[in-house]
Amino acid sequence: MRSIRVNPNLMTIFEMLGASSIRKCFDCGACTVTCPFSEEYGGEPFPRRIIKYVKLGVEDKLVASLEPWLCYHCGDCSDSCPKGADPSEILAAARRYLIIKYDFTGRVSRFLHLTNYGWLIGILILATITLLIGLIFRGPIISDRTMLETFAPVIVVDTAGLIVFAVLAIFVLLNVYRMYKFTVGSLKGIPLSIAVKELVEIPKHFLTQVKLSRCSFRSFYFIHLMIFYGYALSFILFVPLLRFTLTNEPFLFKHPLSILGIISTILFLIGLFYIIRGRLEKKHHVWKYSHTSDWVYIWLLALVVVSGILTGIFRTLDYPLPTYIMFALHIILAACFLVLMVPFSKWSHLAYRPFAIYFARLKMIKGSGVHV
Amino acid sequence: MSIGEVLVIGGGIAGIQAAIDLADMGFKVYLVERKPSIGGRMAQLDKTFPTLDCASCILAPKMAEVARNPNIEIISNADVISLVREKSGVFKATIKKYPRYVDEAKCTGCKACVEKCPAKDKLGAPDEFNEGLSMRKAVYIPFPQALPLKAIIDPNICLYFKLKSCRLCEKVCPTGAINFNDIEKIINLYVNAVIVATGYKFVDPRHPALSLYGYGKYPNVYTNIEFERLLDARGPTGGVLLRRSDKRHPKRIVFIQCVGSRDYRINPYCSAYCCMASIKQAILAKEHDPEVDTVILYMDIRAFGKGFQEFYERAIEEFKIKFIRGRPVKIIEDDKTKNLIVAYEDTLKGTIEKIEADMVVLALGIVPNTPAFLADLGLIEDGRPKTLDPQDPIATPIEGIYVAGMITGPKDIPDSVAQGSAAAVRAATYAISRREVVAYAR
Repeated sequence: MRSIRVNPNLMTIFEMLGASSIRKCFDCGACTVTCPFSEEYGGEPFPRRIIKYVKLGVEDKLVASLEPWLCYHCGDCSDSCPKGADPSEILAAARRYLIIKYDFTGRVSRFLHLTNYGWLIGILILATITLLIGLIFRGPIISDRTMLETFAPVIVVDTAGLIVFAVLAIFVLLNVYRMYKFTVGSLKGIPLSIAVKELVEIPKHFLTQVKLSRCSFRSFYFIHLMIFYGYALSFILFVPLLRFTLTNEPFLFKHPLSILGIISTILFLIGLFYIIRGRLEKKHHVWKYSHTSDWVYIWLLALVVVSGILTGIFRTLDYPLPTYIMFALHIILAACFLVLMVPFSKWSHLAYRPFAIYFARLKMIKGSGVHV
Repeated sequence: MSIGEVLVIGGGIAGIQAAIDLADMGFKVYLVERKPSIGGRMAQLDKTFPTLDCASCILAPKMAEVARNPNIEIISNADVISLVREKSGVFKATIKKYPRYVDEAKCTGCKACVEKCPAKDKLGAPDEFNEGLSMRKAVYIPFPQALPLKAIIDPNICLYFKLKSCRLCEKVCPTGAINFNDIEKIINLYVNAVIVATGYKFVDPRHPALSLYGYGKYPNVYTNIEFERLLDARGPTGGVLLRRSDKRHPKRIVFIQCVGSRDYRINPYCSAYCCMASIKQAILAKEHDPEVDTVILYMDIRAFGKGFQEFYERAIEEFKIKFIRGRPVKIIEDDKTKNLIVAYEDTLKGTIEKIEADMVVLALGIVPNTPAFLADLGLIEDGRPKTLDPQDPIATPIEGIYVAGMITGPKDIPDSVAQGSAAAVRAATYAISRREVVAYAR
C-alpha cells in the first residue's frame, strides 16, 4: 500500500492564500449539490472533496486534482453554504496553491504569493531591469516634435517583445506539462486518435469560456469576456502587428488599425470598471474577497491600459516628452504584468482552465473519473 | 398583595411544572398564557422520545393538577405587556387580557355553541392547534384537553362581528355564557417573584435562505410540527398519514435535519431537539404503515440524553430507518405526481445522489421566544435571556426574575420540567427571603 504524506500546515497556507473561512466547514455537502459541474463530471463531490483534502493536509491528492480549474467561481456554492465557509473562495485559494505547485522554478510563484512584500519586491526588480534595458537601447530624444519610433526603435521593442513572448510561452507550457504530469500522468489507456480529437476542447474553452455562461450571475460572463477580448485584441495589435503601430507618424485616429486599438481599450475599460467596482463593493461572492494577487493583477492591468491610452493621446496631440515618458512607463508596467502574472500568477488561468477541461476529458476516457 | 404571590409567564410544560411546585409549597401562583389554553407545544405532540409515550398522558395529569390546585389562577388569552420592579422590590406586571367573548365563570365547555356555529370550512379559520392543516369554527375549544376548558370566539371570522347577524351560539348556550360585549382588560398584578417560561418559536420555513426547499410552494413538503399533527389520533386526519396533494398514503418519507439550525444566515445554533424528534417521527411513521420507507438526511446525530443513543440504534436495527449524512439544498417537485426529488451528497461515501420522495419533512430549527418586557428590562442578549452566571441558566441579573424551559435554549421535555422545578425553588427561596423586608415596610 502506498503511504500518504500529510502536511499539517496546509490549512494555514490556504488561509494565507485567501481561504480565510475554511475552518468553518463542517462537511455537509451543500456545496456539492449546488455546484452545476458536479454532475457533469460523473457525480464528483465537487468543491467538498478539495476542501476535505485541504483539511486533511493531503497535498499529493490536491496537486493531482483538476477540480479547482473546472470551477468558474460563480459563487453559487458560497450562497448555499450554511456555515459561511465560502467554498468558492477555498477553490480560488486552491487555484493559487496549484499555480505555486505548477511553477517549474519552484520558487518564484511561492515567493510572490507567500512572502510579505513579495509582489512589491518582484515589481521593483523587474521595473529596474526593464528600465536599464530601456536606457541602454533607447534612441535619441527629439523634443521639438513627437518621434516615438526614433526614441524607441521598433527593431528593439519588437525583438524584446518577441523574446519575452517566446520565453513566457515556454514557461507556461513547462508549467502546463507539470500540470499534465501531476494530474493525467500518462496517456496509457487513451487511444491517440481520441486524445488528438479532444484537443479541440482547448481552443473552444479558451475562446468562448462557455461554461462560465452557466453561472447564475450572468453579467460576470460578459464582463470576463470583455477583458479577455480586450486583451486578445491588444496582443494582436502590439505584438505581431507592432511594426504598423509603433511608428513616428501619429497612430490614433489616423491609422486604420487604430480602430482595433479603440475597441480593445473600450472593452478593457468597461470590464475593468465593473471588476474594480465589484471588488470594492464586495456584494457578489465572486468579488467578496480579493487576495493581494487579485489586486496586483487588476491594478497592473489597469495601469498598463491607462498608460497605453495616455501614450496614444500625447502622441496624437504631439507632446514629445510626455509621450516618451508615458511610453517608457507603459513598457515597464507591461513587462512587470506579463513576466510576473503570465507564468507565476493569476494570468496563467487562461492556460490552465482550458487545459484542465481537456485533461478532465482524458481522465474520463481513461475511465477513472475526473479524479485519481 | 401578600408575600406569597408569584407570577409564572408561559403555560407550557416548564411553566406548568413551576406553577404546580410553587402552589404545592403554598404560594399563590398566577399562570399567564398567551393562548386560550395552557399546555404549550407539548399539547400538540403525539408521542415523546425516547420512550414513545403518549405526550398527552404525561401532560394531561399535570394540567389536571393545575386545574385542581386552588393556589393557581390561570390567566389565559393574555399577554404580559410590562414588568417593572418597584422601589420596594415588588414586581408590578401589567397584563392585557384579550376578550374571549365567553364568560369563563359560566362556560362549562359543553360545546353546544361549537356544534351550532355556522362559520365553518371556508368561513372558518386555520386551526392553530393543527398547524393550519384543518379548519376550525368561529367559536371553538382549542383542543379536547384544553385548560381552561372554555370556548372562545374568534372575532375575525365570527358572523356576528362581520355581519351583525347570527348569534346562534348565544341562543344555544345553556348557561348564557356568550358575551359579545366582552372587552380587552388590563390587569395589574403585584408579585414577589417572576418565572418566565415563554418557550420557543420555530424558524420561518419561508425564510429566503430556505426558499429552495419549497415549503408553502410544494404541497407535500411539511414542517415537523405539521407532521406531528398528522401522526396524532386527535389530529386533522385522525392519525392517518395522508399527503396534502392527493390524500394518498406516502410510501417514501424523507426527513431533512438542521433546517434553520446551524446556519449562520438564520440561526447559528443547534436546536437540540430535532434529531430525536425526527427519529421518533420516522419510527411512528413505520408503526403507522410498516411499508413506508423513511430516510433521515442528517448532519450529526446528537443523541446526548438518557436513552437517546439506544433509541437511535433501535431506529436503525429494529425499524430499518435509513440514515444518510448530507445536507440537501434544493427540492424539485414532479409536476404530475407532486412527488419530491431531493438531491444531496452522501458525505460518507462522497457521491451525489437523488431520492424521489412522496413526502418531505423539514426538521425546523427553533429559537427562544423572548418577550418584549424582558428586552425592556435589558435581560435579552444574543436572542436569549441574560444570565448572571453561565453555570446558572435560571437566574437573571435581576434578583426575583427567573427563566425556565426553552427560553433558556433548546432542550427536551425532561430538561424543561427539571428547569421548571428548579426555577420554582429559586423563586420560592427569593420570595421567602423577602418576608422580613415586606413586614418591615408594612
